[in-house]
Amino acid sequence: MDLEALWLTLRLAASTTVILLLVALPLAWWIASGRGPARALVQALVALPLVLPPTVLGFYLLVAMGPLTPPGRLLIRLVGHPLAFSFEGLLIGSILYSLPFAVQPLVAGFEAVDRGYIEAAAGLGASPKRVFFSVVLPMARASLLTSAVLTFTHTVGEFGVVLMLGGNIPGATRTLSISLYDLVQDGNYAAANTTALALVGFAMVALVVIYLLPSVRRSDGRQADVVR
Amino acid sequence: MGGVALDVEFRLTSPWTVLFGPSGSGKTTVLRAISGLVRPEEGRIVKDGQILMDSSTGKFIPPHQRPVRSAAQAAWLFPHKSVRQNLMYGSGWPTRPVQAMEIAEETMSLFRLGELADRNPVELSGGERQRASVARAVISAVTFEGPGQALLLLDEPFTGLDAALRDELLTGLRDWLTRWKIPVLSVTHTLGEAFQLQAEVIKIADGRVVEQGPVETVLAKERQRLLMQLRAE
Repeated sequence: MDLEALWLTLRLAASTTVILLLVALPLAWWIASGRGPARALVQALVALPLVLPPTVLGFYLLVAMGPLTPPGRLLIRLVGHPLAFSFEGLLIGSILYSLPFAVQPLVAGFEAVDRGYIEAAAGLGASPKRVFFSVVLPMARASLLTSAVLTFTHTVGEFGVVLMLGGNIPGATRTLSISLYDLVQDGNYAAANTTALALVGFAMVALVVIYLLPSVRRSDGRQADVVR
Repeated sequence: MGGVALDVEFRLTSPWTVLFGPSGSGKTTVLRAISGLVRPEEGRIVKDGQILMDSSTGKFIPPHQRPVRSAAQAAWLFPHKSVRQNLMYGSGWPTRPVQAMEIAEETMSLFRLGELADRNPVELSGGERQRASVARAVISAVTFEGPGQALLLLDEPFTGLDAALRDELLTGLRDWLTRWKIPVLSVTHTLGEAFQLQAEVIKIADGRVVEQGPVETVLAKERQRLLMQLRAE
């Protein structure tokens, strides 16, 4: 197995997860507590990567980050080099591509927190920020874990966006899934098998963690508090 | 007001005022408007000269900035916190933590919650949760940082408690809040409760204030009817 590719994949997945959670928390809270056409539009934009072929996203990002467009030229001037075919470019692609996997579990988790708790906290003088951090977030903690695990594993498994946007540069943009593709192209099936097994094992462990979560969720007795 | 037609006007003059009326008459909505959880289309709410909302000027102070503390009809104890953490959630007096703790302890013993403090809310019975919820709002109101005192809003605080405990709590709580000069507006549809509290009563029906005054005057008819019913048994 290409250890450099493994290390790069883990680095990409970890960075994507950390950045995406920071973006997804406020975004998901806004979606969960909002209404109207603006909310629907944002929800559609967030869900778009789920239905688009990854190559479409990759293609537009490639164009946007390249010297053909004004934002691309600005980026090149700011960063000093084109973002496409670099780790940073890949990171931006991963963030956009995994956005729905981070946001949607959080929206579901936030919506499951009954308004009664939020109003009770407000009635005790808690500011909206305090309500979010001391009531909403802890009560939705299982969703937070789901969101993190899904984002991480989905990033590990992405292929189309990486190929379009990053190409295949060892140490910079060659992830495990690309390395697997390479090995198969070379006819090296034994090594391909090791890499594929590692990816399967990884996904399996992550999914088991997520499906073990309901037992975590049950212990907070979310539905058990209504008196009458 | 959110599809609810409600047209009320009243002034709190007594330490404990009771909103009395049948269910669906708009009592809870009045409390929610005062705490800022709903925004009336038209109206004006003032506490001790401070305008909390005024539709004519568009002023609206958000709930957490109002000198108001409240407990809803359902308990809404935070399930991820212990009973004690719940009770301390809204406590103020950051500059006097020792005194705040004393207030909490005294309120807890008043509500017979001392032994339950380290439990998880899911382990409590319905009545215990109800008591913890009211106690939480009381602690928050007493330790309100000021200026002035917080107005305490209680929505059916004693409903669902057994009679003996309710009588004891009712008097105990009234004395405790009088001591700290905390004004209370509570909601009830129980006649006995209004009389026991010796409160000023605002009678409300179909979203309108019917009458306001001392309990003996305002609820005289209801009292008479109840006595007749008891004699007829």
